[in-house]
Amino acid sequence: MRYILKRLLTTIPIIIGVSFLLYVMLNIVPGDPVALMMGEHINPDTIERVRARMNLDDPLLLRFVKYLLDALHGDFGYSYKLKREVSTLIWQAFPNTLILAVSGALVSWIIGIPAGIISAVKKNTWIDYAVMTFALIGVSMPVFWAGLLGQYFFGLKLQWLPISGFDGLNIKYIIMPAIVLGWSAAATIARLTRSSLLEVMSSDYIRTAREKGLLRHQVVIKHALKNAFLPVITVMTIQVASLLSGAVITETIFGIPGIGRIAVSAIQTRDMPLLQGSVMFATVLIILGNLLADILYGFIDPRIKYH
Amino acid sequence: MKKKLIALGLVVAMLFALTACGGSNGDEGASSTSSSSEATGSTAEKVQFVVPYDEDPGTADVAKTTEFYALPLNMFDRLVESVTVAPGKSELVPGLAETWEVSDDGLVYTFHLRKGALFQNGDEVKAEDVYFTFDRMLDPATEGLNTDFFDMISGAEARMNGEADSTEGIKIVDDYTLEITLDEPFGPFVAGLATPAGSVYCKKAVLEAGDQFGIDPALTVGSGPFKLAEWTVNDKIVLEAFDNYWGGRAQYDELVLKIVPDAETARMLFESGEIDVFNCDMARSQIPYFESNDKWKELIVSGPRVGVYYICLNQSIEPLGDVRVRKALQMAIDRENMLAQMFYGKGQLVNGIMPPGLYGYNSDLPEIPYDPEAAKALLAEAGYPDGFAFEVAQETDSPNTLKINEIIQSDLAKIGVDVTITQLDESTFFGIRKTGELPSYYSSWSADFNDPDNFIYTFFTEKNAVSRSFNYVNADIQQKIEDARIMTNAEERIATYQEIEKTIVHDDAAWIPLFELDHLFVVQPYVKNYTVAWNGWSDQSYYSIQIEK
Repeated sequence: MRYILKRLLTTIPIIIGVSFLLYVMLNIVPGDPVALMMGEHINPDTIERVRARMNLDDPLLLRFVKYLLDALHGDFGYSYKLKREVSTLIWQAFPNTLILAVSGALVSWIIGIPAGIISAVKKNTWIDYAVMTFALIGVSMPVFWAGLLGQYFFGLKLQWLPISGFDGLNIKYIIMPAIVLGWSAAATIARLTRSSLLEVMSSDYIRTAREKGLLRHQVVIKHALKNAFLPVITVMTIQVASLLSGAVITETIFGIPGIGRIAVSAIQTRDMPLLQGSVMFATVLIILGNLLADILYGFIDPRIKYH
Repeated sequence: MKKKLIALGLVVAMLFALTACGGSNGDEGASSTSSSSEATGSTAEKVQFVVPYDEDPGTADVAKTTEFYALPLNMFDRLVESVTVAPGKSELVPGLAETWEVSDDGLVYTFHLRKGALFQNGDEVKAEDVYFTFDRMLDPATEGLNTDFFDMISGAEARMNGEADSTEGIKIVDDYTLEITLDEPFGPFVAGLATPAGSVYCKKAVLEAGDQFGIDPALTVGSGPFKLAEWTVNDKIVLEAFDNYWGGRAQYDELVLKIVPDAETARMLFESGEIDVFNCDMARSQIPYFESNDKWKELIVSGPRVGVYYICLNQSIEPLGDVRVRKALQMAIDRENMLAQMFYGKGQLVNGIMPPGLYGYNSDLPEIPYDPEAAKALLAEAGYPDGFAFEVAQETDSPNTLKINEIIQSDLAKIGVDVTITQLDESTFFGIRKTGELPSYYSSWSADFNDPDNFIYTFFTEKNAVSRSFNYVNADIQQKIEDARIMTNAEERIATYQEIEKTIVHDDAAWIPLFELDHLFVVQPYVKNYTVAWNGWSDQSYYSIQIEK
């Protein structure tokens, strides 16, 4: 309990540090959001006038302190490009990303874990090779390519699923992006589960269990898996956290209005308030993901205790 | 164990709270989406016209954007409208102003408003709304980006600097008459008001909406043929036909802008019938496919873009200060080849700044030949017989520009010029460009309004030549640009612009003209009356389109 509180407290300096670094980096590189807003229609007088109104000419540190104070009051500023409050944009996009991330993660677990176990149990058989080839393709194939192939065959040619778009929890729109997103994650999990399980299976206590007369599947499920799962869980939780901070390519290809799209548009348009907001949001998610992984360790392996 | 359970419970609660928060906010979004999908479901017969848009425009308010005009062109009206009468040809026709006159000295414009034109909230459009809209653009509190269409009005400067609380030069004569006085005559003033920047808003609605005007569908009111009905950021924007539009209701029910950032996805959506038009600018490589496809080849709609592709030469970077070097570069680029390779020959070469179709276009300009040998000789004469190092800048996320720059690189290598292509992110590109320090670059400009001022003034006045990184200096020409702006005799004005153009391009070689390109769209068979906007813009009014399903 105290450990969790301590961990949560340590996130505060991390978040401030990340946001300060980002603020400095965004401001020291050349470029001007107002010039960008005007684009081809550049008018030097208008740029200077609008810059001054937006306080962009104030010293960097002063602007950062102002930003931080406003952020503490829940005001993360207005997006230059999307002209809306940053917090509103993030909270509106998050449920969409959440749906995508959870469904992507489920696909990866449902495929990845059994595949890894089967592969380990049937080590060096054709099943192992088939599963690992499937995993290798998943890891190697870029998401955009898998996405385009899926759109072409299942969307355009077979017309089983919509090519693009999003409609809340409407499963029709989620299946394809979830599989595309989940496949590469499943591949990582399968490979990790396999190698970890193989390592555990060669330990003394497994041999003892087998010699005691326990059935093979009992040994695998009851004894080996629990220990083999530690590294897998780390990967799984971090994967979910990073999926929650936006699966940029999947969201772009399938037209899902999530966090990833917002972050990319913020980067491309040097939309500082929006970029700052989305990076801080991602930071919090990653920290929570790590914390969750640490806590789950304690459950799976009682030897791990935190102070 | 108990402690652990509490800890786990806490973490789960924390995550749940986080997602629930997101959920609750998201619910609003989701409910608005689902209500709309319910709405769409319940009125499944609604006839829609679905257009892809590659990024979310952010706002419909022209005070806040200078490039995303699909919304304002369909939601708002202007005093005067610029309509396409034939490919590449436009005409100014009455909009909210039924008639208008200009005083003999070219200083006072009187607009007589149409009676009975309604805003979408039922209020009538009155002179006070027009005054309010134009004054709001100039009000420094608005942080308006399109002030250059209004800054010639008397008192505009004082209003923009915060020295005045109103714009002295705009007078409400009565409910239906508005008088605008300029500081000096400005020929294209009315043409400028016919651009999206001249969109007229409802004063009452803007005051009620505050910073949500142009964003919140419930608070955004215009007098145009379509009304903003739903906006899901990065997903879609739905506009409904306005039943009481003064020009008559549109012939279909909903105009939908579907945000599709990926070109390949857009093409598949078009082929599956989920979107009704495909803009070939999104993926030019698809042009041969559509042209050879039996289903689509008859459904291609094409029109010239009253615009010009060009190479900016930054004269402050040596050796570009030497006119012989600039002339050599003009002659060393094989424009015909570039047009054929990159754009399947769909366009025509231009030899000036003003493209065909623009008022004042000069078809008699001498042709710039492709002549690498003459270019080499000029370089040798300038003292660079072995060439020199030449930097070209571009934005990172533009693969087409990169291909063009690679062609430039290969063409210039033939005369010994070693081209380095520097890629910068968009913000850096524009940020450096406004300081005048951006290396030379390839770009394009298409007409906002049909007048030479929109091309010549934009690039070559003393200030603009710096802010676009040309750093062109020719005091005599730059004075003539200022003089031409205020000329009232049309013939004399055009002759002056043509002389300026000839000097800049052919004597001073400050600009490498490349070509004008056609703009191709492919439409579904049931889409009728689709025309390419006179200036070739992707953003246009979709009011006159018919859907015959």
